[in-house]
Amino acid sequence: MTLAERATSTSPFRASSTRRRPVLALGALLLAVPLAAVLDLVAGRALSIGETWQALTGGAVDPIAHHLVWRVRLPRVLVALGAGAGLGLAGLILQAALRNPLAAPEVTGVTPGAVLGAVAATGVGLADAASPATVVIAALAGGLGGVGVLWLLTGRARSDPAETAVYGVLVSAALGGLTAVTLLAVPGQLGSVVQWMVGTTEARTWEHWALLWPWTLGWAAVAWLTAGPLMLLRCGDQVAEAAGLVPARARGLVLLCAVALTAGAVAAVGALGFVGLVVPHAALALCGGDLRVALPGAALAGAVAVCGADAVAQLLSRAVTGWGAEHLSIPVGAVTTCVGAAVLLFVARRHAVEP
Amino acid sequence: MTRTALLATGLLAAAALCALCLGTPNIAPSRLTVLAPGGAADGLEAVVVRDVRLPRLLLALVAGACLGAAGLVLQETFRNPLAVPEMLGVSSGAALGVAAPLVLALTLPGWAHPILALAGAALGGATTLLAAGFGRSPSAVLLTGAAVAAALQSALLVLMVMADQLDLQVIFRYLMGSLSGRTWAAWRGVWPWLLATAPLLVLCAPMLAVLRLGDEDATALGLRVRHARLGALAVAVLLIAPVVAVCGPIAWVGFLAPHLARRLRPDADVVRWLPWTVVWGAVITVWADQAARLALKPVETPVGAWTALVGVPLGVALLRGLRTEPKGGPR
Repeated sequence: MTLAERATSTSPFRASSTRRRPVLALGALLLAVPLAAVLDLVAGRALSIGETWQALTGGAVDPIAHHLVWRVRLPRVLVALGAGAGLGLAGLILQAALRNPLAAPEVTGVTPGAVLGAVAATGVGLADAASPATVVIAALAGGLGGVGVLWLLTGRARSDPAETAVYGVLVSAALGGLTAVTLLAVPGQLGSVVQWMVGTTEARTWEHWALLWPWTLGWAAVAWLTAGPLMLLRCGDQVAEAAGLVPARARGLVLLCAVALTAGAVAAVGALGFVGLVVPHAALALCGGDLRVALPGAALAGAVAVCGADAVAQLLSRAVTGWGAEHLSIPVGAVTTCVGAAVLLFVARRHAVEP
Repeated sequence: MTRTALLATGLLAAAALCALCLGTPNIAPSRLTVLAPGGAADGLEAVVVRDVRLPRLLLALVAGACLGAAGLVLQETFRNPLAVPEMLGVSSGAALGVAAPLVLALTLPGWAHPILALAGAALGGATTLLAAGFGRSPSAVLLTGAAVAAALQSALLVLMVMADQLDLQVIFRYLMGSLSGRTWAAWRGVWPWLLATAPLLVLCAPMLAVLRLGDEDATALGLRVRHARLGALAVAVLLIAPVVAVCGPIAWVGFLAPHLARRLRPDADVVRWLPWTVVWGAVITVWADQAARLALKPVETPVGAWTALVGVPLGVALLRGLRTEPKGGPR
């Protein structure tokens, strides 16, 4: 059995089971979102839980606490949720469309492209970290460029998932190298950009959120509407053609969705590692293989994952403050990477071993 | 055969001349005999040639040779022309082993760096090998390797977030692969390792030739495929780690050199490609280093940027060429 054939059977969950469980899982995820959000809201260093609650409910608190909660923490939580949802969705779309359980924004040139776009635009002075809109546009252009290069390279081989994946790895490596060269050319940017290359939710404002939510919501809606074609694509091109779908066209459309979602998320929080790789597997395991349920499931799971990781990162930062490292704040990307890499190796092992 | 040898010798000699004479200050080739170690002359020029340019030239040659040989070993082991050190998590692991103590401000003796690099490279490579089920499927190895490499890269980035601005510059330059400012001390840290690894490399060449036949045939011939892969990976790690410890993960040499060797001798086998890969690896790296030194004088660019500049388009071209050929091992 080839890698591609095994990729189509990603779900350990058989469709023969009751229809109720996926919906229940979706409901549980829906409940988990506010939980994660609240956890993230109260995890910060500066305020106690009571003060946070009072500021939220409009109680009498000092203006600083009010400002912190409403201007710093709330947008941070919302941006984490939005970016997580976008990355989870994008990952599931890529894995289904390329029929490869290891496909993810990081290894298909999407994330590296977006990073390069943002870094290059900042380096030459076109974009400015202070105005998120320009960074979003630059990241989107870069992400589209990255996947566009992949698209041009794969040429006639678009139906061969293994080859597409190899090209994706190559393109990602090349873009990463270009980013490094760009950073060497403008060393002044290095400190701020490195934060963003890991993925961070520090200092996100309402401006970021205002850009992120309409973008993510719109593309998520489009992605959900393509659930049917996507399921056919996951069965392989011959099946899709037999059902009357033009595989190349359908794949182009869903890939565009994935790129747009990733670019939005990357522009908002940077190159969060492993969310787009691991969350889809969790979503499929929880919600079953039906993409009409699994796609919203992946969005919710991604939101919960990133928000939870952000809470963990803030709690860790609190912990290191106790050891006397006041200026060090652990970026959320560090947490998602550590957890994601462990999960990934487990997943890869399950898929890569010949039966 | 002889023409290839002449070409390689000519390129190496020209690069050596370029490495010793050009730069700041420029030195006439006729004066090199006087300035060489043990020569008569003293002063600035002698110091520049003896203590700066000569060790750097030697390091470039040796680093290229090792990376090239390691690339060939890995490509043959996994039957995938793209299975290069940086795609399998080996280079990233080694870099992580070197960068971590730097950021965490641990002062270590010089001999510890190769050992840490070795541990990191072994960790990265072994993780990839295990997660990919010992490399039965060539493409699975590559994807798993990319994922492992991505994980290690993220770990490096997290380290960089913790570093202060000055360390950041140093680490970033190191991660691109750079030979600037390497002296005899670095050379002393590298050569004993390589001397120890060379016989292992020669011993594992015939094994690679058998692996090339495919897992079933190799097993039928009495080769334990899993053990062979682990052994080959160990040799590659031993070749890569000391080099990475000193000059950073110079990208794509491990891809370009074997590819060149195969292109120029398409009818040979692994055992004959190996020496040529060593030669071409040295040629590529030493010329890339000249570009790094002289292209944007007086600013030095990282060597890895130049090798990647050539390597990535070639990798793409190679993949496209593979598609028109029948499926099989690397050609």
